[in-house]
Amino acid sequence: MVEKKIYSKLGEKLANGDFILTGELEPEKTCDLSHTIQEAKEMAPYVVAANVTDSPLGIVTINSMAASHIIQKEAGLEVIWQLTVRDVNKLGIAGMIMGGHALGLRNVLSLTGDHPALGDMPESKPVFDLDSATLVRLVKEMVDKGTINGHEIEHPPTLHVGAAANPNADPMEAEILKIGRKAQAGCEFIQTQVVYDLDRTIEFLSEIKKYNVPVLLGIFPMKSYGIAKGFDTFVPGVDVPKDILAKWKNIKTEFKDDKKEQKRVYDQANYEFFKPFISELKRKGLLAGVHCMAVHYPRIFPKLMEVIQA
Amino acid sequence: MTVITTKKPFEEILSVLKDVKKIGLVSCGSCAAMCQTGGTEGAKEMAEKLEKEGFEVIVTIVPEEVCDNRLMMKDFRQIDEDLKNIDAILTLSCGLGVASIVKALERKYPLIPVFIGTNTEFMGMTERIGRFYMHCRGCGDCLLNETGGICPITTCAKSLMNGPCGGMVNGKCEVGNYEKDCGWVLIYNRLKALGRLDLFSKLRDPVNWSESGHQREVVWR
Repeated sequence: MVEKKIYSKLGEKLANGDFILTGELEPEKTCDLSHTIQEAKEMAPYVVAANVTDSPLGIVTINSMAASHIIQKEAGLEVIWQLTVRDVNKLGIAGMIMGGHALGLRNVLSLTGDHPALGDMPESKPVFDLDSATLVRLVKEMVDKGTINGHEIEHPPTLHVGAAANPNADPMEAEILKIGRKAQAGCEFIQTQVVYDLDRTIEFLSEIKKYNVPVLLGIFPMKSYGIAKGFDTFVPGVDVPKDILAKWKNIKTEFKDDKKEQKRVYDQANYEFFKPFISELKRKGLLAGVHCMAVHYPRIFPKLMEVIQA
Repeated sequence: MTVITTKKPFEEILSVLKDVKKIGLVSCGSCAAMCQTGGTEGAKEMAEKLEKEGFEVIVTIVPEEVCDNRLMMKDFRQIDEDLKNIDAILTLSCGLGVASIVKALERKYPLIPVFIGTNTEFMGMTERIGRFYMHCRGCGDCLLNETGGICPITTCAKSLMNGPCGGMVNGKCEVGNYEKDCGWVLIYNRLKALGRLDLFSKLRDPVNWSESGHQREVVWR
């Protein structure tokens, strides 16, 4: 068996089989990253690494490679650089992989990216020269073989490459076979879309287990009723369970005059929902860790640590 | 196959004809006639509108196919005298028509400007008149034998070679508010029905743009 090379803390923890937590940072339409850096510092004691998003929903933000570098440098938190194939062609992306490495990035998450038509520059040309699977394959070629399209790279990059999966996808089998393609391309880890349906998640993760790629489960702890309701309404294909929405609504009403207590109760409610959910998946050996996608909610991390250490 | 065209707004046509008085109308008798942008009826309607605006329509021809350069050369020989008297040609055809007309005129009348009164949409499948659908982008490297006869370059909003992407919800595409089918789910359903999910599982190479990313020609004699 070929010895797996380790390029990052994330790579090391996954290779060791440690059950880990990763977070998510969403830089906005700004050149000043101080808020994001602050958030990164707050989650740093708890997470192995944090994703840095690449213009999600096609809404243009500061470039994710630049933001990843600055956050990693300023907050001392390892990042998982999200890179979509939406905006740059194959030639440009190969250059970015080398650039990302030169800037100290050691993990990259290959994503298709939301179509520009959804965002705030809908007239932009949708590039999609590569797709999320062929981007994985390109990174693996560059890292493992030290070539691009067969041409030698003088000093090749060293990054771990991951990809996304969606347990909510219907038809599920099409998604499973797609994960098979990503695994075939050399994908080293998977981060899933946010899930709330335990049975469906078990079914999906059991199916993709055969690909032998460590999975970090996407969860979205809900900071408030407004956020839970918004997530349920505006994120297509992800339904927040009705009993959760009702419970969060109650918290909002019951503790409306005591914000401090309200926060504590919301955090506790998240803990109570996610603890059995994650424990069950962990017990079944379906997870390598958890990826928390709730941005602007760093105070939940101590509770999440209790969840994943349970 | 039909090249599907739609009418340009008349105001846009007027704006390009601002220095023109005498017009020759060329209206395609083939695809544009089927799309009701050209043909005899389209020509008649356009001539009336132009005359109402004070233009003189010196001559109107309805060639069998404007894109067939041989037919255009023949038709132009028959209206040679009229061509001497016009300021511009307005064609009601697809974009190919402009190239074909310019080429047919290049030796004798290279300076007659040729304007177009339509927008070329796509090459389409005709379900019935007024219902035309794109199923092929003419990429030059046909994948249909591997994708159950459904083209991902056309039916996937991102033209992905390895879909479906995360923008698919319940078989629908994120582009267009989840109203259109996800092309890769259509491919999956078709290949599954045909017992060929082995083809769906295959990791496909990106499109080779060195072959299809420039103006192409097919010359075999």
